[in-house]
Amino acid sequence: MPRTTTLELPGCPPIRALTFDILGLIKVIESRSAVTEADANQPQVVTASANITPKVVETWGAPDKSRCILNVSINDRKSDPLLAVARKNGQIEVLNPLNGEIRASETLEDSSDNPISGLHLFRKENSGLSSRSCSLLTCTEKGNAILRSLEIGGSLADSSDGSRKTWDVCSSGNIFCSAVDGNEKYAVFGGKGVEINVWDLESCTKTWNAKSPKKDSLDIFTPTWFTAATFLSKDDHRKIITGTNSHQVRLYDISAQRRPVISFDFRETAIKSVTEDLDGHTIYFGTGGGDLASVDMRTGKVLGCFIGKCSGSIRSIVRHPEFPMIASCGLDRYLRFWDIKTRQPLSAVFLKQHLTKVVFDSNFCDKETVTAAIGQGEKVQEKEEDDEDVSVRRKKSSRENDQEKQLRLKKKKKKPVQQEVDSNDDDEQEKQLKPKKKKKPVQQVVDDDEDDEQEKPMSENDEDASLPVKRKKASSEESEQKKKLKAKKKKKRVQQEEDDH
Amino acid sequence: MREMKMGGKRKRDEGESAAAEEEREVNPQSNKKSQVLPSTIKNKDKRAAVHSKIKHEKKLAKRKKQKDREAKEKKAMDLGEELPPRPVPHTIENQRVPDETICRLDDEELFAGNDADEFSGILKREFTPKILITTCRYNSTRGPAFISELLTVIPNAHYFKRGTYDLKKIVKYANKKEFTSIMVVHTNRREPDALLIIGLPDGPTAHFKLSSLVLRKDIKNHGNPTRHMPELVMTNFTTRLGHRVGRMIQSLFPQDPNFRGRRVVTFHNQRDFIFFRHHRYIFDQKEIKPLDGKSKNKEDKEKKEKKLGKVFTRLQECGPRFTLKLVSLQHGTFDTKGGEFEWVHKPEMDTSRRRFFL
Repeated sequence: MPRTTTLELPGCPPIRALTFDILGLIKVIESRSAVTEADANQPQVVTASANITPKVVETWGAPDKSRCILNVSINDRKSDPLLAVARKNGQIEVLNPLNGEIRASETLEDSSDNPISGLHLFRKENSGLSSRSCSLLTCTEKGNAILRSLEIGGSLADSSDGSRKTWDVCSSGNIFCSAVDGNEKYAVFGGKGVEINVWDLESCTKTWNAKSPKKDSLDIFTPTWFTAATFLSKDDHRKIITGTNSHQVRLYDISAQRRPVISFDFRETAIKSVTEDLDGHTIYFGTGGGDLASVDMRTGKVLGCFIGKCSGSIRSIVRHPEFPMIASCGLDRYLRFWDIKTRQPLSAVFLKQHLTKVVFDSNFCDKETVTAAIGQGEKVQEKEEDDEDVSVRRKKSSRENDQEKQLRLKKKKKKPVQQEVDSNDDDEQEKQLKPKKKKKPVQQVVDDDEDDEQEKPMSENDEDASLPVKRKKASSEESEQKKKLKAKKKKKRVQQEEDDH
Repeated sequence: MREMKMGGKRKRDEGESAAAEEEREVNPQSNKKSQVLPSTIKNKDKRAAVHSKIKHEKKLAKRKKQKDREAKEKKAMDLGEELPPRPVPHTIENQRVPDETICRLDDEELFAGNDADEFSGILKREFTPKILITTCRYNSTRGPAFISELLTVIPNAHYFKRGTYDLKKIVKYANKKEFTSIMVVHTNRREPDALLIIGLPDGPTAHFKLSSLVLRKDIKNHGNPTRHMPELVMTNFTTRLGHRVGRMIQSLFPQDPNFRGRRVVTFHNQRDFIFFRHHRYIFDQKEIKPLDGKSKNKEDKEKKEKKLGKVFTRLQECGPRFTLKLVSLQHGTFDTKGGEFEWVHKPEMDTSRRRFFL
């Protein structure tokens, strides 16, 4: 019999995402229930279907190779949201993410061989500036960082605006990744030949610089080449996650040491994007070979991979601020949505071009309260579905595990040293998977679940503020913590259920 | 003794099956429900019996169906009606899993994307392709022979000895010398088994598995190609990925075919395998012989010369014959460590035999 498994895509909650591609097109993808555009404004009676497949709603811009979008930053506040876009020809545009209207734009000089590699649009209001301006941090590949403010809605391309700070991040090498922490006081830069360094944005001074890791057991030094960086949690600027070209994921802790606290290899292609979860310890990263995985950074163990026919390099991953889902996009021309908990694909949208970035517009639900309410109902439905599907999925996953094992066995013959780590990971996965499935209550009210999530990291963060260097101890401690947490959770759930009844 | 026993058993089985058949004819529906799968029977003899019975029934049903169809057709022929439509056989191709990435001709974004990609310069005839062909480190027997044939197939191709150079260095060199692509023929155990095509200066890198290679001298009645620019036939590159791979292959050849040369290079994609063929064609007309062979007048002779039949083409294969299968498509030039892939084959993608990527 031919092996035929169909990958069912359950659909996603109502969301709005924007994707950016190499032709400079911005595409708006929305998933909303079956409502026609005409009566979207009126209160509607909606036939709530369990699956909403996201669709391309709008496309902004004309295809032009030189306007390839390199970097994007969004400020999705409720009133007057802004979206900054950096293009290959050195143009920086500030758009309205709701209708694509250009609010401000500026062009950098000598952009041909010095493209913009980092862009951040500040969320907090600058007290000194008027409310009709926004501040932007840009960093070019050669290390020229500029902190500037742009007038919104004013005349285009007035770069001679008042406040503007310029500094050089590095003297040699190329900057490939940058990130700004949640409080927007610190920025981190890294790249080819540039070790990770942290800058204080107020005084524009370098506050910390990483040291390159030691030579390995074979006395081989791998040149520094960072490809992705992010902060581990929003409030904490001390922990930095980076991905390197030599397929390593590293955790730096500024308060602990200058070398990475945790560092592990993942498969055989460069890490191309890293994103943190809201809970403060889980990260998601994508590789150049199309692998997407999540890792618990307290232990450095792979929680599991997101499997679903993803065949091209993953350029960007975004975590949705409310729903437990992430979006990934990349060179395989697909935008994919994934469920975090089950690590199953929710849906995929074919977008025809190589995609560079994706962002979520988190206020999408607030605008249309009706759809939001439906969305929640749907989420519950989805949960039910998930529970039904568990048995099927288990079968599948076990099969996949078998395949992987077989593959590993083959590989093991070649590289016994490397694979041992992986196999451990696999075991870990299974261990972690089992209790999860047991734990799952039959019906869960979504809001409660989110509360749980928020509570969890808080308590844990207090306990291990600085990440332990010795792993063994840490893991044992954490397992205890986990047990405690689980017990707590169970109690809570029982209470809830009783309350419900 | 034993034979006797076996024979006896067989006889009984046959009797049973005959009885079962009779039953089926009386009441076919109930029988269908009660039918057991042969694989669930543990006794081998009984299992074999049931299996053979089922097989026989199937054969009978098929024959009956065939006869019915033939009868119908005959009836239609006799009455002069239109023949009933013949059923289209199910093939893997026509049952292909629907793919949303299949290119449509009315898709403007596709053409915009084409204009922006790495091959548009060559395909718009802004400059002519120049190919560097090299090999892996060790190369012998069929490898060089294959390369010498590739050199005759692809115009403006130059062979360079690999030596001990890194591929990345070769890429640099070729960029400096304004080559537009590099082809690397990889040999394993003296047999070419992989083909790497690198687009320059920043084009993608495609890694193909090469199989079933037949060289020119092994083809019966082969022709020797001329030096005319070949025509290119690309078929079945339907999806977005296929389109890109097709354009990549297309950019290896100059885009101004010399139709005088009547030389065709074909890349035919079927079920994700790309078949390469190289032909020479000729238009031919058969003379129609006059019915009475004894025409003597001059006029008749002239008429005879003009009396030519339908034009048809004859093909002569010349050049190697091989099959390619895409393994990976990498973004940018050759870089195994830090490279980004546009497409890699992964085992989890093989969800169905009827799912194709090109």
